[in-house]
Parts: sequence; C-alpha cells; structure tokens
Amino acid sequence: MSRAAAPLQWLTMGLLALGLLGLSPALSLSLLAFGLAVLTALKLREARSLEERRVVALLQLVCAGLLAALRPELAPSLLQGLAILMALAGLLALELGAGPDWKALLRRSLQVLLAALPIALVLFLLLPRLMPFTNFGAGQGMGAMTGLSDSMEPGSIARLAVSRQAAARVAFPLGGEPPPLEQRYWRVLVHERFDGRSWRSAAPTFARPAVGQATPPPPPPAAPGEGIQLWLIEPSGLAAVPWSGSGRPLSADLNLQRSGELLNRAPGSQRRVYALTRTADQPGWRTAPPGPVDLLLPLGENPRLEALAAGWRRLGSDRERLDAASGWFRSQPFRYTLEPGALPRQAPLDHFLFESRLGFCGHYASAFTTLMRAAGVPARVVSGYRGGQWVQPVGGTGYVDLRQADAHAWSEVWLAGEGWRRVDPTAWAAGDPLARPGASGAGIRAGGGPLDWIQQQWWGLDIAWARWWLGYDGEQQQALVARLLGEQRHLLGVVVLLAVAVSLAAGLGGLGWLGRRHRGDPLRLELERTLRAFARQGMAPAAGETLGGFARRLSQRWPSLADPLEAFVANYQQQRFAAAPSRAGRRTAHRLGRVLRRSLRTGNRPAEAVQRDHP
Amino acid sequence: MDFGRPQQGERVRLRMRNLYILPTRFGWLWLAGTVLLQVVGVQMQSNGTLLLSFLMLSLFLLTLHLTHFNLQGVELACGAPAPGFAGEPVPYPVRLRCPGRSEGVRLRLGGEPPGPALSLAAGEHELAVSWTPPGRGWQRPGLLRIQTTAPLGLFCCWSRWHPQTAQLIYPARRAGPVRLLPAGSAPVVGEPALASHQDGSDDWRDLAPHRPQDSPSRLAWKLLAQGRGEYAKRFLDRPEAAPLLAPEPGVPLETALEHLSERIWSWHGRGLSYGLELNGQSVAPGRGVLHRDQCLTALACCR
Repeated sequence: MSRAAAPLQWLTMGLLALGLLGLSPALSLSLLAFGLAVLTALKLREARSLEERRVVALLQLVCAGLLAALRPELAPSLLQGLAILMALAGLLALELGAGPDWKALLRRSLQVLLAALPIALVLFLLLPRLMPFTNFGAGQGMGAMTGLSDSMEPGSIARLAVSRQAAARVAFPLGGEPPPLEQRYWRVLVHERFDGRSWRSAAPTFARPAVGQATPPPPPPAAPGEGIQLWLIEPSGLAAVPWSGSGRPLSADLNLQRSGELLNRAPGSQRRVYALTRTADQPGWRTAPPGPVDLLLPLGENPRLEALAAGWRRLGSDRERLDAASGWFRSQPFRYTLEPGALPRQAPLDHFLFESRLGFCGHYASAFTTLMRAAGVPARVVSGYRGGQWVQPVGGTGYVDLRQADAHAWSEVWLAGEGWRRVDPTAWAAGDPLARPGASGAGIRAGGGPLDWIQQQWWGLDIAWARWWLGYDGEQQQALVARLLGEQRHLLGVVVLLAVAVSLAAGLGGLGWLGRRHRGDPLRLELERTLRAFARQGMAPAAGETLGGFARRLSQRWPSLADPLEAFVANYQQQRFAAAPSRAGRRTAHRLGRVLRRSLRTGNRPAEAVQRDHP
Repeated sequence: MDFGRPQQGERVRLRMRNLYILPTRFGWLWLAGTVLLQVVGVQMQSNGTLLLSFLMLSLFLLTLHLTHFNLQGVELACGAPAPGFAGEPVPYPVRLRCPGRSEGVRLRLGGEPPGPALSLAAGEHELAVSWTPPGRGWQRPGLLRIQTTAPLGLFCCWSRWHPQTAQLIYPARRAGPVRLLPAGSAPVVGEPALASHQDGSDDWRDLAPHRPQDSPSRLAWKLLAQGRGEYAKRFLDRPEAAPLLAPEPGVPLETALEHLSERIWSWHGRGLSYGLELNGQSVAPGRGVLHRDQCLTALACCR
C-alpha cells in the first residue's frame, strides 16, 4: 500500500463533498448521494486493511456517479471527473508498493483512464439506450423558482426586483441569426383564468404522464433546411419551458399544448436541454379557437374599466376594438416603472388605468387583457421572456442569453380570420426599457466588464457542453447508428463487439508503449542508435575495442566525420563518468548524435555515387 | 485464490497454460457497482452516470489483461539457498526474470503469510521468500505461490510451483544438556591464550576489592582479620583441552541434536573451541565460521 493512498482518498472525499454542496435536498436521490458520501467518509476513517480501502474507492466512484446524475452541468462535471481520477489514483496506490510518488501515480492513473476511455466511449455512443424503468421521481426537485410563476398578480407587487440570474440560453447551432430584438418574445406560460386580481395558468405545474400511457414515438429528426434552436434552461420548477412559439419540438419528451405552451414531460424534469426546429410556418396553436374561459371576467370588480370597454363593444369588429384600445393607451400618460406601489384591493385595475398610470409589464398585460375581455374580444395573458442579449463567444456558437430580469408578460387577443395575435401593451408606455432609443441588445449590458465577459465565454462553453453532451440521448444515438450503419442495423452487436475489441487492443498497446518508452538509460540509447547507424555502413566495434579506439578507426575511414565524432565521444564519456549526469548533458548527447548521423548520411552519398560511377 | 496444478522443474516460465486468473471479491463488487450506476443512469437519463458505468466496465476488461500481463512471461528459478535453522523463518532465494514491468507481485511459500507487494522493473531479480522449515536436513520449501492483483485489485492472477532446489536446514536451537567428552588432543596450537583467560576456580590469581555480589567463600578472611579491608580472591581456570560435544545419553536423538545445535551456536558466539563426536563421526576441535558450519551440517545430516 503506497503512502500516497490515504491522502488521495481523503482528497477524493473533499472533491465529492464540494460536489454535494450545490444539491437540492428535495430530491430523494440527492439524499441518497449525501448519505452514501457520509458513509464512505466514515468507512475511510475506520478502514485499516487493503480490502476496506478498496471498497472505499468503489463507494467513491458510485458517489461520483450519483452526483453526475444530479448535477450534469459543465462545472460540476469537471469536478466529478477530477474526483473519479483521484479515486482511481487512490485505488492504484493501494496496489502498488510504497515506491511510486504522487506524480508517477497520477500519470499511471491517467494512462489507465485514457486506455479505458475508448472502450467506454464505444459502449456509450453505440449501445442502444434504455428508457427509464419507472416514473419514480417525476416532478421532484427544482427547488429554485424563477421570475415566472403560474400565477400572476401584478397588483400585489409594489416593487419588482430585477434579478440578473441566468434563466435560459438559446443557441442556433446550425448557424443563423436570432430574430430581431423587437421580435424576441419567448413564451412560457399562458394565463387564461382571471379572478379579478390574479391570472392563473391552466397547465399543471408538472406534467405527469398517465400510468400506462404509451410513450409517443420520437418525432422525426430535423430536415436539413429546417435549422435548430437549442435551449438550455436553468431549473425553474415549471413544467412549461420557453420557446419562440414557432417550430417543432425534436424530442418525444416535449408536448405542445393547444394553448401554445410547451410542456416537458421528462421524468424528474431533470432535462435542461431540448431542441426545436426553426421553421417559420404558422404553428397550430395560433389558430386554435378560443374557449369560453378566454372571455371570463368577474363583472363589477372594476366599474370604470367596464364602462370604458362598453363603449368599444359597439364597434363592429374585434380588430376595430383592438385599435381603439391601442389608441386609448397611447393617448394616456402611462409610464413604465419597476416601483409602481401596490394597487388597492378595491378596483385595482381602475386605479392603475385612471389614476396611477404607473406599472410594469404585468400591470399593462393584465389591464389590457381585462379591457379586451370586457369589450368582448377573447384575450389572455402570456408570460415568458422578452429580448435577451446576443452573445458570440470566441470560437463558439452564438446564443441569446436570457436573464430573470428579461421575464415579461404580454397579451394575446383572438382576431377572427387571423388567430391569436400578440399585443404587447407595455410597448405603449413611456419608459419601456426595450423601446428606449439606442437600447439595442448589445447596448443594454455593454458595461459589464471582464467578469461578465468571462461568464459569457463560460456559458458559451456550457452551451457547447449541453449541445454535445447533455443533448446526446436515445434519439441522437439512433441517428448516429443510422448514419454509421445505414440499412445494416442488425450488425450493431457485431460492430460494438469489434469496436470494443479494437479499442481494448489499442489501449493495451498504448499502455505497453508508454511503459516501454521510458526504459533504459537515454545516454546509452543514443550511443546504440549511433552505433547502429555505423553498423549499417559495415563498421562495428571489435571485441574489447574502446569507444575512443573505435572512433579513431571511424575517422580514418571517414576523415570528414572526425570533428563530430570527437565531440560526440568526448561528451559521452564526460556524461558517463560525471558525478551527476545532467539533463542538459543528455540533450547535448542527443544533438551531437543527430549531427553525427546526419554527417554520416550526407558524407556517404557522394562517395557511394563516385563508387557507382567508377566500379 | 489458491488452486490449480503446481508446476514442477528447475525453472518455470509463466504463460497462458500455467497462469490462473479470476475476479477477486472486490472485482465482483465492482461489477455490482457498475450495474447500480447503469440503473441510475438509465433511470435518470444521465449521460455522466452512464459513461462512468461504461468506464468502470471497460476498466474491468482492461485490468483483466493488465493483471495477466504482470506475470505473463515471467521466469522463475531457484537461487542458491543459504542454510538456516529449523523452526524459525528462513529466507529462500527465488530468481525472477521479468520481460516487462511487473506490479504488485507477491510471493508466498508453504503456509506462510504472503509477502509485501513488489513492483519489479524489467530484468533479473533475486527475491528472498521467507518460510519456516519443520525439520532438519535437506528440505524443499514446498509450494511457491506467486500472485498479483495490480493494478486495480479487480482480478487475482496466480501460479503455483514446486521449487526443486533443496535448502540445508540445521536442527532447531534449543538449550539443554550436552555431553562433553575430553578431546584426544591438546588445544589448537597457537591459540591457547583465548581459552585460558576465563575466570574460573582452580588457581588463585589475584585480589580485588570485595563486591557485595561476591561469594563469602571468596572473601580473603585473613586480610579482613588483619584489618586491611574486604578483599575477594580471584581464581583462574587452568587451560584445558577443547572438549568434544556429543549427544547427551538418555535424551532422544532429535532433541539431543537440537541441544548440540544451540551449544555450538552459543560457543561459537563466545569464541570457544569445540569439537563434535556424533555416531562415530567426529569433527576435530576448532573455531571459526567454517568449523561451525561443518559441525552444524554434520548435525543436520545425522542419521
């Protein structure tokens, strides 16, 4: 057992503990991981024999595996990878004698890891994926709540905190630009139910698939021309996920609701990555006709509002009513603010529309939607994100960066013949941050400084990680197999076996090569290489001949080689008998040997040519 | 892991036919951990967990070969064993020629506990393996087991071999009565001085101040009576011919031999001369390592 074993195992424990820090205690699996880590630490404390220490290393690996399931993001994954490497090094240290030092141990474990990695990758990439066995754990976790919630009640919020926390990122991996800033509305929730104060969403918080419900077949992959938008969302606690409102989900886990909400029904809502196509066709939800719920309004709550809307009811078409409302909003001195103060419990919307005229997106969307309903136009509130900064990381895919502060609410009204039309009443108010002149996407956060820049680059990496690593699922795996094998899918088993055998042989060969490479005295190796070069010319040292004597014999045959020979021999002997052979001396020997061999080659060619010419 | 047909012969080269390899208990546990992670990975649809599980599986496959390569092609031969005493650990030299680097090699003779794990570089090595011979004479050390679990302890690869070279084992050293026969000859010529400088009781030699531990019979009463203080008389043994050691009659032969073995060892340590008379075979008195070994060999080979 090497002395390095115990410190390495404790170091691994430290790394695992670091990885445990960010876990949400709500998920049963994270409790399991936590318990396992504690048990492993106790076992390590008590372990005396080799067998026990080995079991500790195995427990550490299992712990790292559980952590990998809980924290698949880039930074925790790097930490887990390091912990795995250290656990393996600890295990290696247990088997080796007390000899090897830390550096040799780490190098050896890296070698073993690298040799094993190709086999693991072959299995990982090619073996068909299994679906989850049960829906155990569905809907758990995600303690963090975002700026979005399924209930919107702007009147009770006196002051809206602006959070710079990351909400989501959307990348366009196949190239292409994001929509222009004024078109960037990323819808998440549709609030149809209004009780006079708050707007509620009809969708469940978590999409729970019914027991026994068959898994829908995976949708066909994106056609070449369609383009892809790749989403990476932070935990939100909502089943609904943001999307642009157009395009087709590329995963069977995503379910498009009739209202235009995109629900994620993956168990545990662990998946933070999904892809959609990027088509511009009219999606179905836009033309889905409204229901009675879209006109529901508690009458008598806001009398002045209802009186104003009653005037518009007399107008002929919904379109005219919408124009009237828009004109009225523009004519009033509405101002956008994040600190509007709380609205009274009595007739809150009347107070907002006719007295304070101060509010943020929630106020405008809420009041406008109520007005439209009172005027007889089906309308609903939609919440999601607006805008977002376009970031182009160095050497990566560009992405739109959405923060919690980008959370927004707007309205949708039903217009006969057109379908649901997005109306953003906030844009009519003075001081709307997005409508401010010069507030282009890049301009808003230009003053971030180097830390922001580093964070943006890191998120660019995170996007790439999410795209290539987290996004590799059963469908991707099948697509890869289809690309590799085409029609010959039945050969997959043979191909996997062959690939494993080849990678195993390559790994073993590589390890053997690495082991051999450092064998022997470099000075001696250099001398032997040089002697071989002379042996090819028919000159070999005689039995008992000294190196100096042989060199003299050589310089008699090739007088032009006398100088490099002398330098080489002198350096060899000096290094050979030096008290402490130095690295510089070895390098000199290498250089002199190369010079000598080159002079031998170039010096010989003319001579041979002469011999050939005059036999 | 300890089964399989033991190899015979002066040298043995370990290869496919005489190396055995099986997963250790830890190896099975490792596979169980792999399955557990696979289940978690499938259930959580987590790529990291799946990859780790596959990585553990591929490490399992890889170390199967790495462990085997540790012993593959290793040549075992006996060195020249030095004599030792029965009943106590004796080193037995084993020569190993490794074609490449061999890690975590443990050697074990007979029922002894296995030695420490050794990392051997390519080339020749002579290792001393300890064993405890049960009796005297030319003894073979029994079954040699060579095994390794490096690099990860997932597999145990082992082989068994009966080394052919016997080791001379002297009788165990046990204190006891020994018969002393007067030697036929005088002390070794030229070296009488050392033996004669022993304190004894034959000749009065000197006076020394009396010490409490001196016997009262040694007290110089005459001087004490004269009031000149307490003095003890010092006596000297007369130089005597070196004795011949022989087995004590009435003691079983093996026990007597063990007593002789101890006596020879201790007298050699004190620099005394002695000879040996054993079953009609006799060794003339003498001193020195060669003489000691000659006597001990005679004991070991006594019938």
